[in-house]
Amino acid sequence: MKSEWNHRSSQSMLEARLEQADLLKKVVDAIKDLVQDCNFDCNDSGIALQAMDNSHVALVSMMLKAESFSPYRCDRNVALGVNLTSLTKVLRAASSEDILTIKAEDAPDVLNLVFESSESDRLSEYDLKLMDIDQEHLGIPDTEYAATISMPSADFRKICQDLMLLSESVSIEASKDGVKFTCAGDIGNGAVTLRSHTNVDKPDLNVDIELTEPVSLTFSLKYLVNFCKAAGLSKSVKLCLSNEVPLLVEYALAGNSYLRFYLAPKIGDDE
Amino acid sequence: MAPSKVPQKRILGEATNARRNIPATPASAKKRKLEPLSSPAVRFKSSQNGPKGKPGSSQPSHFESEVLEKMTQDMAGLKKNNSEKDQEWARPSLADFNPQVDKLCFQQIEAEEGTLHGRAAVKLFGVTETGHSAMLHVTDFLHYLYIQAPVSFGPHDCDGFKTYLESQVAQHQPAIHSVRIVLRENLYHFSGNQQNPYIKITVTDPKFISKVRGTIEEGRANWKGMWQADLKGRVETFDSIQYVLRVMIDCKIFGMSWVEVPPKQYKMIDPHLRHSNCQIEAEVSYRDLIAHKPEGEWAKMAPLRILSFDIECAGRKGVFPEPNQDPVIQIANIVTRYGEKKPFVRNVFCLDTTSTIVNTQVFEFEREENMLMKWRDFMEEVDPDIIIGYNICNFDFPYLLDRAKHLKQKQFDIWTRLPNVRSVAKETNLNSKQMGNRDTKATNTNGRLQLDLLQLVQRDHQLRSYTLNSVCAQFLGEQKEDVHHTMITELFNGTPESRRRLAVYCLKDAYLPQRLMDKLSCLENYTEMARVTGVPFNYLLARGQQVKFVSQLFRKALEQKLVIPNLRTDPSDEQYEGATVIEPTRGYYDVPIATLDFASLYPSIIQAHNLCYTTLLKKQTVNTLNLVKDEDYIVTPNGDMFCTVKQRKGLLSQILDELLTARKQAKRELAKETDPFKKAVLNGRQLALKVSANSVYGLTGATVGKLPCLPIASSTTSYGRQMIEKTKEEVQAKYTIANGYSHDAQVIYGDTDSVMVKFGVKDLAEVMKLGEEAAAYVSSKFIKPIKLEFEKVYFPYLLINKKRYAGLYWTNPDKYDKMDTKGIETVRRDNCRLVQNVIETVLRMILMDRDVQGAQDYVKDTISDLLQNKIDMSKLVITKALAKADYTAKQAHVELAERMRKRDAGSAPTLGDRVAYVIIKGSAGAKNFERSEDPIFVLENNIPIDTKYYLDNQLSKPLGRIFEPILGETKANSLLAGDHTRSISVAAPSIGGLMKFAKKTFTCMGCKKPLVGKDETGGAVCSNCAPRIGELYTKTLNKVSDLEVRFSRLWTQCQRCQGSMHCEVICSSKDCPIFYMRMKAKKDVEDAGKELVRFDRDAAAW
Repeated sequence: MKSEWNHRSSQSMLEARLEQADLLKKVVDAIKDLVQDCNFDCNDSGIALQAMDNSHVALVSMMLKAESFSPYRCDRNVALGVNLTSLTKVLRAASSEDILTIKAEDAPDVLNLVFESSESDRLSEYDLKLMDIDQEHLGIPDTEYAATISMPSADFRKICQDLMLLSESVSIEASKDGVKFTCAGDIGNGAVTLRSHTNVDKPDLNVDIELTEPVSLTFSLKYLVNFCKAAGLSKSVKLCLSNEVPLLVEYALAGNSYLRFYLAPKIGDDE
Repeated sequence: MAPSKVPQKRILGEATNARRNIPATPASAKKRKLEPLSSPAVRFKSSQNGPKGKPGSSQPSHFESEVLEKMTQDMAGLKKNNSEKDQEWARPSLADFNPQVDKLCFQQIEAEEGTLHGRAAVKLFGVTETGHSAMLHVTDFLHYLYIQAPVSFGPHDCDGFKTYLESQVAQHQPAIHSVRIVLRENLYHFSGNQQNPYIKITVTDPKFISKVRGTIEEGRANWKGMWQADLKGRVETFDSIQYVLRVMIDCKIFGMSWVEVPPKQYKMIDPHLRHSNCQIEAEVSYRDLIAHKPEGEWAKMAPLRILSFDIECAGRKGVFPEPNQDPVIQIANIVTRYGEKKPFVRNVFCLDTTSTIVNTQVFEFEREENMLMKWRDFMEEVDPDIIIGYNICNFDFPYLLDRAKHLKQKQFDIWTRLPNVRSVAKETNLNSKQMGNRDTKATNTNGRLQLDLLQLVQRDHQLRSYTLNSVCAQFLGEQKEDVHHTMITELFNGTPESRRRLAVYCLKDAYLPQRLMDKLSCLENYTEMARVTGVPFNYLLARGQQVKFVSQLFRKALEQKLVIPNLRTDPSDEQYEGATVIEPTRGYYDVPIATLDFASLYPSIIQAHNLCYTTLLKKQTVNTLNLVKDEDYIVTPNGDMFCTVKQRKGLLSQILDELLTARKQAKRELAKETDPFKKAVLNGRQLALKVSANSVYGLTGATVGKLPCLPIASSTTSYGRQMIEKTKEEVQAKYTIANGYSHDAQVIYGDTDSVMVKFGVKDLAEVMKLGEEAAAYVSSKFIKPIKLEFEKVYFPYLLINKKRYAGLYWTNPDKYDKMDTKGIETVRRDNCRLVQNVIETVLRMILMDRDVQGAQDYVKDTISDLLQNKIDMSKLVITKALAKADYTAKQAHVELAERMRKRDAGSAPTLGDRVAYVIIKGSAGAKNFERSEDPIFVLENNIPIDTKYYLDNQLSKPLGRIFEPILGETKANSLLAGDHTRSISVAAPSIGGLMKFAKKTFTCMGCKKPLVGKDETGGAVCSNCAPRIGELYTKTLNKVSDLEVRFSRLWTQCQRCQGSMHCEVICSSKDCPIFYMRMKAKKDVEDAGKELVRFDRDAAAW
């Protein structure tokens, strides 16, 4: 077994080692409800994933830069078609602290995942059958946003979850007074207002609002709650808004990597 | 009038582009330098200037050249053979008809209640042998009812009772004509063939009958308290039937039969006193009327005039035409004389100038009002006996009436044969078990029959779609172009040539119903049904099943002096046990399986055991008459008692005897007959007889009906169950190794009236012999006329479950007849075509080719294609009828119809329509009903289809059912998951919340890497793949040309279908798989063209 593995590794074209399997586990967990099948595009700068959810309201954009891995090697561009539900099953076998190595050959049929326990000498390896996904690449062009809000990711999650109990949608208003999340539902209304706030002791709790003009947009809470599953990846979250432009929710990861979500605003009263 | 320039409609957009024949792919654009896109309206204008490129090209279509012109060629023959002069509207003149010398003999087509000289009469409308229209008032018939005479009621009491009854009914004029005592028998229960005194009450006018009946039934006419009322104080009355039917029954007039009055016996009606505009109008007393039984010579048909018509309206964009806004622009008419193959009148009434059409009269009008009024005059002059069309009841008739009302044409609605009765469209709601719930409109055309082919086809045939187009494709094997209603306005606002094209289209729509009617022998079948059951023709369409049976029963009861109680039934849910099913021994049988069937099981049981209303015994009667069990009466397995033929032959049994004998007779004549028209009549007759015989059982079991008799119904089914079980026992007892046969026979399945027997023998001929033998052997164990017949052998046979099986059907040992399937998804309509195709192919491979491995490979390939979006979308379309609006559970097609209504109220499906939809991908957890979408909308916006849904919800179950008995569960499951499911394709739609903002990043055509680098953007390949550019370019170019060829083929196919190779295709039929294919192909070509252009930007790499 071991020898075969070594033999194959010598041929592998992609080899990426993560110090903690936790990162990939969390990323996949955060997006698996939005996207079922997608391509991991690997090249020398890192591993990227871009996919829309089935109803084409949200887009997930993940970038794991080469710097996030140690080491990272990719000889040729390769698209790995993965069924995320299956990947979740495999990743469940890895503990958070495990060292994770992913490998693939040129024109691969399978993705090879190796978990090394940091404490014991246990070595687990899994092959995940790949899919051939013919998918169009869609991106959201970079925009100058009118409002950029940084806040603790846990706070954002709590706001979304609380408001979700009242209504299906939330309107986010950013003005010079602060940012206000409001919703109206059958049982009542709710509003949460945040102001710029700096906590010297715990910079993680900072709320920072940059504003060039006031913004007011409405979004589906169902999706926002879904995005918040990524809260475990980063202490803080960045919301970028402009009128009549999709919302950008960004979770910054170590080594310039990121996980971004775009969400189309609700227009009028259409569902 | 609709504006001439309007924003493009989606379907129109397609047509406009399509006019170029090949969509403008960038690659071909370079070569061909096509003119820039212009709106259709602009193109129409330009075509007015130049002689070339007319949209309604003067190139004749197939319909014109083949059908219309041929009529010209046949003209000489037509003139000689046709009794009607070509294009002459009026009926032949009455000339020398003399009431003193000539008898009045005609085929009556409709009977209606009316009055003459202030007294009730029945109007019989009809046509004489010479083609003259006639109406006869049948007078003097008085309506009546029966009540049971109390013991103390004697003949001397009649006068007293009459006076009393008169006072109780309390009308302003005498209501009771006479009260007499007569001897009759009750239909229900056997009472020793003893007639009892009944009181026959005759009323002076049929309008009093219900009042009198009501008074008596409610117990308010209980003279001297003579009647023993039931607990609610009610008194039972007998013979409740409406006046028209009573007259027809008592005069022995059958629906659509011939009636005759000898000369001088009838009186012509003075011209200024006439009720109708028929050529002959006369009155006769019912006593002098001779009704001919529709047999032998009198089975003929009169030369009925049949008008088939169609109207076109100029609708506005996105709105279904509304009569108070949108004008009627064309009315096409075809009039045929029954028995002749060619229509003698063909014309189109058109608004605005229209170019001439070969062998067709074109009437041009400037004003719509004039056109409508002229059409009405035409209708009166041509005086049709039958008006047919497609969806005329719900659309054409009401639309014309409403339109005329809007244009204030007060004299327009005189369409009937009674000038005093105007035609009015009424909303009706028909709710029957056979048809489901339907909102319909009914327009009266007294004296003229109506046949709406749409309703007929919906009633008698189960189809995927009921558009004229698909119905014609189904029955005539030809298609017509399906012009979207917005396109009609477009053509109308064009030139005389484009209006001519529309007129030809309209004419074809008028011609097809006539052809359909001939092909399906509707007129003959319904005529024969009317004749067999004795009800007027229009009852067959407007009423349910019961009236037919009631009419037959009353006729028979009259002969035998039976009276039929007016039962008041409360709709109860009382259920009785139905047919039995022998538990199937599931599996795949590679040996011949013989099928033994009982011929007309239920009718033969009723006959064999003499089950009837009149033979049903009460316990008490058995005792008083001292009847002996099994000699004078029998006890059915259900525990009911019926007397035997020795005591009395049942009425039902007699009716069935007659029906089945008549059917044999008709079949014999059919075999001998050569004239196609007479053949159609005979075939219609034997069908009508068969249907009538089979419906007898059903009506005894209908608890909401007029004559329910559950003991008959449940005894019939109990005998049926017993017989199936007995057959099984007999066969399994006789065909055993112990009895010298090579195998033990096994009954593997049985249902209602058939059993499947595995004799174990491998040789087909041998099994057939055994089957014959077994059938004869088992038949001998049953009472006549019950007969078990050996019909067919299934080999091989796949028994999936109850009422689900498939097999090759053999009736002779040399060649199989067909593949037969029951209850398998091939026939069900709420599945997509893909399922149907796959199941059919798989079954064919397994059963015919015996290639199980090939079938598995085929399934895998199909699933793989499905997941990669390579399956044509037309195969994924599911259609469902939009029935009543208040579903409690949300359903995909209902929700979609609602959403489509919001998008475009005009083209959205309405109640009764079939809704076509596909299931698209939705957010996680979205319900199916949220994910249904209009196929055209999906095509246009490239919305991804939920292929997983089709795999899991549509394909997996039926495939599992087929493969499990053959392969076992695990192997069958592996068909649905495996390597072939690992290649998928995800489309990016052009709509959806985020799509407005998203930008497509091109990926490398070699390695799919997104091209984001500066020098790579918009190009075709990445730097890594640059050396392969030549290879990739050739590949893409080939793809483009393949797609172009495919599109051209489809385009040509559509041109062939519309019958002209020189006109652009304007068809947008949603039922046509080619339509979706063509739309898809067009889009594919465009997309592939765009891909090709990307290589231009990589020019640097060359």
